[in-house]
Amino acid sequence: MKKLVALMMAMLMVLACVPAMAEIDTSEHVVITYLVTGDIPSNRTDEVLAKMNEKLTEKVNAELAVHWIEWTDWTTKYNLALATQSGDIDLIGTATDWLNAWPNIQKGAFLPLSEEMLQTYAPQTWANVPAENWELCKYNGEIYLIPEDEYSQWTNHGFLYRGDWAKEAGLENGVHSWEDLGKYFQYIKENKEGVIPWDANGNGSSYAPQMAGGWQTSHTPNVYIEGIGVDLFYGESKDNPYTLSTYYIEGDELVNFATEMKKWADAGYWRTDVLNYTGDVMAEMYEGLTGAHQHHTQTWTGERTKMAEKQPGSDVGFFWFGEEMSNVVGLNITHGAMAVAMTSKNPERALMVYDLMRNDPEIYRLMQYGIEGDMYTVDENGYIVRPEGWNDGTMGVSLNYWWGRRDELELRSADRDWEAIDALYAEYEKVKINYPYGRVVFDLSNIQMYLDNLSNVYNTYMPRIVFGMVDDPAAFVAEFRDQLKAAGIDLCMQEIQNQINAAYGL
Amino acid sequence: MAKATKPIVNDQLSYKKPSFWQLLVQNKTLILMCTPAIIFFFVFSYMPMPGAYIAFTNFQYNKGIFGSPFVGLQNFKFLFMSGQLTLLLKNTVLYNIAFILLGNILQLMFAILLNEVACKWFKKTTQSMMFLPYFISDVLVSLLVYNLLNYDYGFISNAVRNLGGQMAKVYQMPNAWPIIIVLVNLWKGTGYGTVVYFAAITGMDTSMMEAAQIDGANGFQRIRYITLPTLKPTVVILFLFAIGGILKGNFGLFYNLVGNNSMLFKTTDIIETYVYRSMMNSFNFAQSSAVGLFQSVVGFFIVIAANAFAKKLDPDYALF
Amino acid sequence: MSKGPANQAPVILNHPKKIKLDMSDRIIRGVTYVLVSLFSICCIIPFWMVIASSFSTEEAIRRTGFTLWPTDFSLFSYELLFRSPDQMLGAYAVTVSLAVVGTLLGLFIISMTGYALQRKDFPFRNGIMFYIYFTSLFSAGLVPFYLLMKQTLNLADTYWAILLPLLMSPWLIVLMKNFVKAIPHEITESGKIDGAGDFRIFWALILPSLKPALATIGLFLALGYWNEWYYSSLFLSSKVEYRPLQYHLYNVINKVASLKNSVAGSNVVLDDLPGETLKMATACVATGPIILLYPFVQKYFVAGLTVGSVKG
Repeated sequence: MKKLVALMMAMLMVLACVPAMAEIDTSEHVVITYLVTGDIPSNRTDEVLAKMNEKLTEKVNAELAVHWIEWTDWTTKYNLALATQSGDIDLIGTATDWLNAWPNIQKGAFLPLSEEMLQTYAPQTWANVPAENWELCKYNGEIYLIPEDEYSQWTNHGFLYRGDWAKEAGLENGVHSWEDLGKYFQYIKENKEGVIPWDANGNGSSYAPQMAGGWQTSHTPNVYIEGIGVDLFYGESKDNPYTLSTYYIEGDELVNFATEMKKWADAGYWRTDVLNYTGDVMAEMYEGLTGAHQHHTQTWTGERTKMAEKQPGSDVGFFWFGEEMSNVVGLNITHGAMAVAMTSKNPERALMVYDLMRNDPEIYRLMQYGIEGDMYTVDENGYIVRPEGWNDGTMGVSLNYWWGRRDELELRSADRDWEAIDALYAEYEKVKINYPYGRVVFDLSNIQMYLDNLSNVYNTYMPRIVFGMVDDPAAFVAEFRDQLKAAGIDLCMQEIQNQINAAYGL
Repeated sequence: MAKATKPIVNDQLSYKKPSFWQLLVQNKTLILMCTPAIIFFFVFSYMPMPGAYIAFTNFQYNKGIFGSPFVGLQNFKFLFMSGQLTLLLKNTVLYNIAFILLGNILQLMFAILLNEVACKWFKKTTQSMMFLPYFISDVLVSLLVYNLLNYDYGFISNAVRNLGGQMAKVYQMPNAWPIIIVLVNLWKGTGYGTVVYFAAITGMDTSMMEAAQIDGANGFQRIRYITLPTLKPTVVILFLFAIGGILKGNFGLFYNLVGNNSMLFKTTDIIETYVYRSMMNSFNFAQSSAVGLFQSVVGFFIVIAANAFAKKLDPDYALF
Repeated sequence: MSKGPANQAPVILNHPKKIKLDMSDRIIRGVTYVLVSLFSICCIIPFWMVIASSFSTEEAIRRTGFTLWPTDFSLFSYELLFRSPDQMLGAYAVTVSLAVVGTLLGLFIISMTGYALQRKDFPFRNGIMFYIYFTSLFSAGLVPFYLLMKQTLNLADTYWAILLPLLMSPWLIVLMKNFVKAIPHEITESGKIDGAGDFRIFWALILPSLKPALATIGLFLALGYWNEWYYSSLFLSSKVEYRPLQYHLYNVINKVASLKNSVAGSNVVLDDLPGETLKMATACVATGPIILLYPFVQKYFVAGLTVGSVKG
C-alpha cells in the first residue's frame, strides 16, 4: 500500500513537472553574468560563489559570475555598462529610485519579459509576485522589472538622537516632532560642553532633499513622487494623491521652514561653515561629540546597537519625518529590482538562475549569509549568530543582492534590538500607505531641460534654506520661488499632472 | 653627358613644383618617423570622433549612437536657457586667464631666479619641495583650506581670536574666493609648470650667456636680453595650448573647494559645476557630450584666431 | 664637425663664480633665496601636516584638526591600506611597470615625431601638426571612446587600455618640438653632409643633446602613468586582479565611504573605519615613491651641463 502511494506520488510529481520542464533545454552549460554595484569583496565571497555555482550547475546547468561596478565613479560606470552592453551581461540589479530604472527602460537597456517567459523560466517568482505588483513593473504594457516585493525594510528618513540626553532635556518620551528636536538641540547647546547639537556635514548634496522633504511631510500631508530627479514634486495627500501639491510655489510652510532653520543656525545647532564641512557625523556620535545624525530607519536599527556599545546608555531613538502628521509611505516595491539585459544571450537561463537565487532556500542563504555551521549558526529563536570575532569585511560574503530579498528566507541578526525595532515597524504599519504612484512611469523627455534647470535652482537655494544661511527667510524663499518659475516649474507641474492623470484615468 | 644633365633639369623643375607623391617619397623617412604618432591619434582620437554625433541625438542604448533619433540642438538648449550662461562663461574664462597668466609668470620667475643661484643643494631641495603640492588631491586640498579658514575652529580664526581680533566668515564671502582659488591653483601647479621652463633654460645656448658676462652685462640685463627672449617661444606655445581650453574648468578643484555653498556661486560657479548641479539626478550622456562640444567649438575658434595672430608676429611661434 | 653626439662644451661651468658679482646679481640672489624659500615652505608645511595626520587617530584629527606632529600616534590607516598586502604590492608593480614601459615607448615616439615636425624642410609639418593638435581641442566624448576601447579594439580588462591612451598627447609633442627647435639646425645639416639618413641624424645626433627635454617629458609621462585612475576605473573590471595604484587607493577610500552611507540600505555591520586619516595615508603611499624619482630627473635641469650650440 505504502509502495503504491509512493509510486502514485512519484508519478504525479513527474506528471506535474515534466510538461513545464521538458521544453527547457539546459544541455549547454552557460555563465550568467550579474551586474551589481559594490566593491570587489576581499572576504570569502569567491569560495561561497563556487559553492553556489555547484548547486546552480546541478539544478539548471548554469553558473553565476559577478560584474562589479565599483564605487569609484559608479554612476558613470553603471550607466556606461548599460549603454554599451554587448551580450556581456545578463542580470542587472536596478532600482526605480536610486538607479534610474525607468529612464534606462525607456532607453532600451533591459529586455521586456513576457508573462510566458516568466511563467516558464521563473515559475516560483511568477507565482509569488501578485498580479497587481507585476502591473507596477510594466512599461508600455510589458514587464521589465522583477520587484523586491516580499521584503520589508524601511528607508524613510529622520533623525537618530540620544534617548538619554532627550530625557535630560525633559523629553520623557523622546523626540517626536521638529519642535522636540529643537528643544533637544537647545538642551545640548546649553548643557553639553564641546558638543555640537548636530554637526552636519553639509558639503554633500543629500541633506537638502531629505531635510526639506522631512519638514514638508511633517507639516503637510504631501506625498513624495519619485523618479523625476528634482525633489519638487509631491502629491497633495494620501486621500488626494493624484493632485500635485503647490508647496514649492506658494504658501507659508516653506517660509516657516526657512525661518525655523535660520533660528537654529543662529542658535548654533550646527557649525557656521556647515555647507563646507565634510566630517563624519556618525563617528562623532560614537565619540559623544554630537547629538544627532540625519539618516534613515535602516541605519538606525544598526547604529542603535553600535551606540549602546560606544556610548553606554545612549538609548538611540529615531524621530521619523512625517511623525507629527502620521505621514509615511511604504517603500516602493521597485526600490530594488532585477532586470534582464537587452543583449543577454541567455535570458531564459538568466531567469532560471534568478528564480533560484530568490527562492531556493539553500542558495539564498549561501548568497546572503555564507556557509552554515562555518560562517554562521541559527540560534533557538531563529536569529543568525556569527562566530566569535566575526568581521564581515574579511570573513563574510558580499554579493550585494538587493534585488529580490524575501522576508521568509531572511535571518534576523541576533545582535539587534528587535524589541525596539519591531515597535517602530508596528507604528509604521499602523499609519503607512503604499507608494501611490507605482503605476505611472514618467516620460520626461519633453521637459528634461526644464527639469535640469530646476535641479540647478533647487541645488542652489535649498542648501541655504536647510541650514538657515539666509538673512531674510521670507525674501529668500520668494527669490527661490521666482527662480523656480523662471526655470519652468509651472510647465513641468502641468506635464507631470497630465501624465499622472493619464496613468490613473482621471 | 646629356644623359646626366637631363635628370638634373628634371630635378630642378620638380623642385619648383614637386608633386604630392614626389614629396612623399622625398620625405619618406620623416613621414615614417611621424607614422606611429599619426596612427596613434587616428585610432584613439579620430576613429571615435564621429561618435560626437551623440550630442545631437536622443541616445537610445538599444539602437546605438547612429541609430538613435536625431534631435538637433535639443541637448544644447538647457545651457542656453538657464539664464546663467553669461555668468558661467565670465567666471570660467576669467579663472582660466588668471590661471594661465599668473601661473606662467610665477613659473617663469621661479625658473629664471633659480637659474641664477649657484647653490646646488638649495636649487634641488626647493625644486623638490615645490613639486609636493601637485600630489595632494583636491579632496585633501579642500580639507586643508577648510582647516585653515573655517570660522568656528579654523587655524587662522583661532589665531585671530587669540590676538583679540574678529575673524571674517570667509565661507560667506564670495569676493574672497577668486583669490583663494587662484592661490590654491598656483600653489598646486607651480612646481610642475616650472619644470618646463627649467628644461627650456637648460637647453639654452650657454655661449650667449658667457659672451654677455664677459661683455659686462649685469644680472638684470642678462635676464632681460638673453634668458627671456630664449624662453619666448616656449611661453607662446604654452599660452596657445592653454587657450584652447579656455572654456573648460577644473571640476575637481572648484567642486571640492566650494561644494554646494551657493553663497559663493556668484564668483565661483563655472560651467562644469553648473552642469553637475543640473544633471545630478538625470544621467544623460548626450547632454554631457553637448556641453563638451560647445566648449570645444568655442575653444577651437579662439585658438585659430590666436594662432593666426602668433603667426603674424613670427611664423615660428605658431602651433601649425 | 664630424658625426657623433654634439660636442660637449664644458667651457664654463658655474659661470657666476668666475665673474665678480655685481650689485644686480646680489639683489637677484637675495630675492631668489627669500621668495623661493617662502614658497617652498608654503609647499612643504601642508604636505608635512598630511603626513603627520596620516599617523594620527581619526578622533585626534576630529578634535584638533591638522597638526605638525601626530596626535595619538596610530598606524591604523596604513594597516587598513595594507590589509591585503598582495593587492597593494601588485598595484605598485603594475603601476611601476606601466610607467617604465609607457614612458620609454612614449618618449621614443614623441621625440621622433617632435624632431620631424620641427624640420623646416619637411613640407608636411604644419599639416601633421594641425592633425595632432586638433585632437586636443575636440574629443569624441565618453560613450564613443568607451565603445572604441571596449568593442572595436577589445582592450577592456587588459593593461593595454591604460598603457596606450597615455603614451602621448598633442601637448607633449608640441613641447618636444619646441625643445628640439632649440638645437641648432647645423647639427642636422652636418649630419646630412655626412650622408646620414634622417632617422640616423635623429638617433645619433639629436637625441643625445635632448637630455633635458627627455627628462622633462619623461617626467610628465611617468607622472601621467603614476596618477592614472580614470582609464583603470573605466576599463579594468573585477576580472583584472591587480589594478594601478591610484585606482586601488581610490577604491579603498570609496569602499569605506560607501560602507558608511550604504546606498541601498543593506545591513552591513561596520568596524570603526577611518575616513580622513585614510585619505592622508593614501596620499603618502602614492606620493612617496614618485617623489624619490624627481632628484634623478633634476640633475638634467642644472644649467650649464648640456650644450645647445655648435661652434665653428
